[in-house]
Amino acid sequence: MTRASRIPNLGGAKAYILHRPHTTVNALARQLGAIGLDVRECWPELPPDALAADFVFFDVDLGFDEQFPWKPGEAPMPLVALIGSEAPGRIEWALSQKADAQLLKPIGTAGVYSALLIARQSFDARRRLADQIAALETRLAERQTIVRAVAALAAQGVDDGRAYAQLRSLAMSWQVSVEQAARRIVAMSEEGDDHSNIA
Amino acid sequence: MKRSIQIGVLYSRSGTYSLISDACRQGVFRAVADVNANAASPIELVPVERDPQGNIDRYAPLCEEMIREHGVRHVIGCITSWSRKEVIPVLEKSGATLWYACPYEGFEANEHVVYMHACPNQHLVPLLAYVIPRFGANGLLLGSNYIWGWETNRVARDLIADAGGSVLAERYLPIGETDVSRLIAEIKATRPDFILNNLIGTSSYAFIAAYAELGRHDPHFRLDRCPLLSCNLTECELPAIGNTAKGNLCAGPYFASPTGNGRTPAKADLPQPASSFEAAAYASVRVLAKVLAGNADATFADLPSVFAKATFQTPFGDTVIDPQTQHATLPVVIGQIGNDCFETVSRTDSVAPDPYLSRYDRAEIFGRPRLKVVS
Repeated sequence: MTRASRIPNLGGAKAYILHRPHTTVNALARQLGAIGLDVRECWPELPPDALAADFVFFDVDLGFDEQFPWKPGEAPMPLVALIGSEAPGRIEWALSQKADAQLLKPIGTAGVYSALLIARQSFDARRRLADQIAALETRLAERQTIVRAVAALAAQGVDDGRAYAQLRSLAMSWQVSVEQAARRIVAMSEEGDDHSNIA
Repeated sequence: MKRSIQIGVLYSRSGTYSLISDACRQGVFRAVADVNANAASPIELVPVERDPQGNIDRYAPLCEEMIREHGVRHVIGCITSWSRKEVIPVLEKSGATLWYACPYEGFEANEHVVYMHACPNQHLVPLLAYVIPRFGANGLLLGSNYIWGWETNRVARDLIADAGGSVLAERYLPIGETDVSRLIAEIKATRPDFILNNLIGTSSYAFIAAYAELGRHDPHFRLDRCPLLSCNLTECELPAIGNTAKGNLCAGPYFASPTGNGRTPAKADLPQPASSFEAAAYASVRVLAKVLAGNADATFADLPSVFAKATFQTPFGDTVIDPQTQHATLPVVIGQIGNDCFETVSRTDSVAPDPYLSRYDRAEIFGRPRLKVVS
C-alpha cells in the first residue's frame, strides 16, 4: 500500500559534508544534527566509508571531480550542492555531478530540511527512471531474439500471428518475460532442429 | 546596582485566540515580577510590549520595531505557528531570539527560537498512543486552515495508518469560522472512534459545544465513547467553552490539577500557573533571566553553550533544554476535562524533545502490526 505522506525517516541517516572547515559547515552540521542525522565533515576528499552515506553535501566553490570516489553524475546517494559563488562555470560543474538539491551560502537554519527531502525524493525518482530505462533497453535489445523465436515456432507449420501468440502463452506458462521465453526457444532450436519438445 | 535589560513581549490582546495570549502574558509578567523581586538577582527585566491585535501581518513589523527602537534581543511571544514563522526572518536578520511558549507541530529547530512548550513527540504521539488502544484506530481529523492543523493532522494520518486504522475525513475551517454544522453532519455519517480537534479559538469552542449536543442525541458520540482529542486545549480556554468540554482528552506538559494527582510538586519560590501556556511563558522568562544573570549581553549564539550545562527550575519541574534543537524536555500529561479542571489520566516525566520525529518507532508506540485475516 502506498500513502501520500510518511513521517520522513531521517533519524540516524549518515550525512557527509565535503567542505573546508568553515562557519558554513558548522551551521549545516548543527542543523543536520538537530534533525537527527549523524554528520561527518571531510575535506578535501570523501573517505571510503562515504560510499555508505545516505546524503553527501559538497562545496561547489572549490570542488573538483577527483574528490568523489565515483564518476561525475554517478553518485550512489542523493547529493546536495553548497553554492557560494554563482559563477556559470561552477554551476555547470555542480550540474555535472547531478546534485539533487542545493543550498545557497551562507547557510543558516532555513532550507536544510527541505533540501534533504527534495534531494532524497529526486534521487529516488531519478534512480527509478534509470532502472526503468535500463529494463526497457534490455527488452529492446531482445527484439532480434523474439523475431528468431517466432521464426523457429513458425517453422513448425503455423503462421507468424499464431507463432507469436504461442510464444506469449509459453512465456506465461513458464512465468518468465516474453524476451526470456524467446531466448529459451532460440536456444532449444539451436540445440537441434527438433521442436517437438516445445509444445 | 542591578542592570536593566529590556525584553520584548509580543502577544495579541484581541482576536480569536486572545484567551491564550492572556494566559501567556500573565506568565510573562508574573515571572518578570518574581525575577525583579529577587534582591540577589543582578538583573532587572523591563518588558517592552507590542500588540499585533490578532493581525498576522503586524507581527514581523512590530517585532522589528521593538528590536530597532529598544535594542531588545529577546522576545517572548507568538501564539500561532503562522506568526512564529512570520517573525523568524526578522530574528535572523537582527540576531534576536524568540521564546515560544505554545505547543506546535514540530519539524523546526531554528537557532533563533527557544521552544518551551511541547512538540509532536510530547503531545500528539503519546495522545494517540493512549487513545487508540482504548477507543479504536479510526479517526476524523479537524483543523483551522493553517500550518498547525495541516501538519499536526499530517502526522496524525501517519500514526493512524501505523496503528492499522483509517482516517475517515480530514476537514479545515478558516480561522474564526463558527459554522460547524457540516462537520457535525460528516461526523454523524462516518461514525469515527475519535476526533482530533486542531481547530483553534472560537471555531474550536463552537465545535466542542455542537459535538456535546450531538452526544446528547446519539450515545455513540458521548465523550466516553468517541472522545474529542486536543493537543493545545488548556484551562485558559475553559471559560469560553463551559461545561460542554467535559470529557475532552488533552495532552500537554502540565495541567493545574486541584486534586494534586500528577501535579508537579511545587517549589517554594515557583507559582502554580493556571495553564500550561502560562507555565511555559513563565518558564521562558525564568530561563531567560538565568541566562542573562550569567551574561547580561547573551544573544542567540550564547544559548546552546548555556543550555548544554544548565538545569532550570520551572513550573514543569527541573527543566533542561536540548542545546541542539533548543526544545525543552517536558513532562507529558494526558488530562481529561472534569467539572472545572483537568484530571490526569496518564503522566510521563522528562520526555526529551524529538521535533523531527527522527526517533519515532511505530512498534514502540503501537506494538507490532497485527496480521489481518485473509480469506
